[in-house]
Amino acid sequence: MIPHELQITLSAAVICYFILILHYLKKKMLELKYTLLWLVAGVVMAVMIFFPETLLWFVRLLGVESNMNGLYVLCFAFIIVILMMLTSIVSRQQMKIRILLQENSILEKRIRELEEAEEKRCMSRDEKSRGNEIARESQ
Amino acid sequence: MENHAKCLIIIPAYNEAESIAKVVNDLTDHYPQYDYVVVNDGSQDATKEICLKNHFHVLNLPVNMGIGGAVQTGYCYARDNGYDMAVQIDGDGQHDVTFLKGMIDLIESGQADVVIGSRFVRREGFQSSRLRRLGIGFLSVLGWLLTGVKVRDITSGFRLVNKRFIRIFAEDYPADYPEPEAMIIASVHGGRIKEYPVVMKERENGESSITLKRSVYYMIKVTLAMLIRRLSFGFRR
Repeated sequence: MIPHELQITLSAAVICYFILILHYLKKKMLELKYTLLWLVAGVVMAVMIFFPETLLWFVRLLGVESNMNGLYVLCFAFIIVILMMLTSIVSRQQMKIRILLQENSILEKRIRELEEAEEKRCMSRDEKSRGNEIARESQ
Repeated sequence: MENHAKCLIIIPAYNEAESIAKVVNDLTDHYPQYDYVVVNDGSQDATKEICLKNHFHVLNLPVNMGIGGAVQTGYCYARDNGYDMAVQIDGDGQHDVTFLKGMIDLIESGQADVVIGSRFVRREGFQSSRLRRLGIGFLSVLGWLLTGVKVRDITSGFRLVNKRFIRIFAEDYPADYPEPEAMIIASVHGGRIKEYPVVMKERENGESSITLKRSVYYMIKVTLAMLIRRLSFGFRR
């Protein structure tokens, strides 16, 4: 069993954690989609604090002797999974950026060529009208 | 010339300000029958300005994407503009376009889908250092084990593909050090890969993107990439 004092400290920490997430969400500094991961982590932490028996039961189930070691193993596993998800998100975004950049460069070329053609067209039109003027004057 | 297949030459260029004008002018002077596009891969030097000033056909990537991303941009461009074939050559003047005719013939006669310009078929011209040849030999054997196709110059960046593989590469092309991996992609899509003997010049300006320090990383990354590529396509041959 964990002492009540520790339980209170940990609860306060978890509450801070949730407030921080909410704060980020409100300021739109976190995408809700990716926050779900952290919210799940918070819920798991809260469960472990208020019902320490579940943690003990789970640690026994894993076959770990010491409670603290079991806790460390769980934390470590959780963090690794979250990091892996983050890497996967980064990779997917990299792929999207790549496609965007490529599309962008192709469009840039098209616009540049259209502008050049337009410029040429304007110039030839100017020349033609100037030519007409000269012809009229000479008449 | 009308019913001739349309071929696009893709020239990826990263900080090639010194050589790009010469490469492109050589191309337009001697081989005006081919279209080309320079892919400026976010160069920090004057590559972009030189291309714009000379009115080259250039695709400007706003940031550096690496050779794979740059070449893929060229394939996207070829796909969007309905080209029948696309060939990639280096922006540093290593590859000689004289050989392109023979490579195109291989595709037009339907003998191949992907033609790789290989300096090891006839062993003429610039042959690279012994250590590098050893590495290339290893990757070549690996490629052969994985796909059953023997490509001797597997890292050659001089390769011509037909319309079907323009589309495949436009959708899926490895990001960095792409050549050996692209060969696996071509092979698992059922492409017939042929090597065509070419003579390569030693680069005139700039340095190879693969320095000695990076070659260890290169070998590990490329080997892994080839294995994973092969695995992700399952065990059909």
